[in-house]
Amino acid sequence: MINYLKSENYRLLRKKSLYLTTAICFILITAAAFVLYYFNEADSHFPYGTSSFFYSNVLGMGVLIIIISFVYNATLTGKDISLTKQAVSFGISQSSIFWSKLMLTLCYFMFVCIAGILLMIGLGEILFAKEPETTGNFLIASFNMVPIVLSGFILIHTLKMLKISDIYNIIIIAFIYIFSGDLLYFVFRQMNGWNEFYLFAPSTQLNDNLMSFMHQSVQLDYHYWVTGIVISVIALFIGAATFTKQDIG
Amino acid sequence: MSAVIQTYTLTKKFKQDEVIKPLDFSVEKGEICALIGKNGAGKSTIFKMLSGQLTPTTGEIYLFGKSGKDMIQAKRRMGFMIETPVFFPDFTAIQNLEYFRIQRGVAEKKRINEVLEIVGLANQKKKKFGEYSMGMKQRLGIALSLLSSPDCLVLDEPINGLDAEGIMEIRRLLIQLNQEKQITILISSHILTELQLVATRFVFIKNGVIVEDVSKQLLDEKSRKQIHLKVDDTGKTAQLLERAYEDIQYKSLPDQIITIQNHIEKAGEINRLLIKNDVLVMEFRVEALNLEEYFLGLVEGAGEK
Repeated sequence: MINYLKSENYRLLRKKSLYLTTAICFILITAAAFVLYYFNEADSHFPYGTSSFFYSNVLGMGVLIIIISFVYNATLTGKDISLTKQAVSFGISQSSIFWSKLMLTLCYFMFVCIAGILLMIGLGEILFAKEPETTGNFLIASFNMVPIVLSGFILIHTLKMLKISDIYNIIIIAFIYIFSGDLLYFVFRQMNGWNEFYLFAPSTQLNDNLMSFMHQSVQLDYHYWVTGIVISVIALFIGAATFTKQDIG
Repeated sequence: MSAVIQTYTLTKKFKQDEVIKPLDFSVEKGEICALIGKNGAGKSTIFKMLSGQLTPTTGEIYLFGKSGKDMIQAKRRMGFMIETPVFFPDFTAIQNLEYFRIQRGVAEKKRINEVLEIVGLANQKKKKFGEYSMGMKQRLGIALSLLSSPDCLVLDEPINGLDAEGIMEIRRLLIQLNQEKQITILISSHILTELQLVATRFVFIKNGVIVEDVSKQLLDEKSRKQIHLKVDDTGKTAQLLERAYEDIQYKSLPDQIITIQNHIEKAGEINRLLIKNDVLVMEFRVEALNLEEYFLGLVEGAGEK
């Protein structure tokens, strides 16, 4: 498995899409900060020239971050997946292939996320007026988002490894991370004991997290982790079990 | 001799379609075994099951005497090239082989240049795989199968897309690997005349069943001769032959030609029989069969008794 990880790392580091996506993300973050800074300097009544508004842009784009994670995962699970047959022929287990690709792409994605957060805090601290507790709240809200975003990444990995087409992959992700809260509310609203089930939906939680941050009331909350872990475990269980038994040729 | 590849009642079903019927098959150490069959006969399915790309429906596979989880180590002694080789299109030959060198734990980097030299791609190091011709892709596929210095090669259509010179080079290479390094080879190709020049054993497969398994020596004997006749009345000739020899095997071909595959030693008698019964014999000769004709005789039924 170590050799397989090393070879996939060799491949990953030579993927242009990895560098391009990272560069675009960092440029967009920096550009957003400078646009807010510019308007704040130009117009003294501009209401959005604050670090909290700058940070809220990221917290409000949970689904976009999950879609960006799709690109990172696809660096090793896109067309390259056809090469897994060569690895299988050499005796590398399908289980090793599934976990190696997940671990490696997840590591790079998390590294980029952490770098992105640090970049945002740096820009927020330098360009905007100091707001008490904003940075701390941003870190708490980001931490709450982690399990939801990671569950999205893991779900994407499973769907990619099972060769579900990209369009279905995006529809499933959009459904779970944008519409699931409304659907659960609509279905269970009149069932006693279930009428608050929608609060565990990823879309509701992403929204609640943003609202709490905007109201300066964000707190570390285990509910995000419950939802994230449930989605991740189900996706990994189905993905690993199915991919391992799947015919490659 | 010991078996390098061995299968016991191996079957493969795709939905309800049983592509491979219970298959007991082995390849002994040092052999060059040719697996011969028409498209859809099940050759690639067997190769894919051996490589682990397909899971058998039932049965067992032993590689170097190892089965199940123990087979993982045995697979490292094998080199597979199944169907069209797949590589990263944006990588050069060296980058592609470097990826697999790391994956396969081949310590020596210079092995990449060695295998590229062997397959004649040493001067194409900077070209991206996506720009390769079919023949170059095949060569790189063979280079990959040789990368980890295997003891057994399983090659599915390795000369597909190669020009005459390339085919000759690969033939020489396979014979050299077999004779000098004692590498066992299981090979399939649609160019049967090429297999005839390389293989030491021939296994014919039809609809997932082995219909004949012969050594080169036996094949040479079996396919040595047939009687080739050109007569004025093929119907009457067929009737006479069937009446005179119950087990006669013949084919009726266009242009009033009949070929007889058995009773070769009775060529004189057959000639006399036809003349005696007023059949005009315009041509009568005993000729050798090549592998292609032998194969067609085995797997096709048209015009055959």
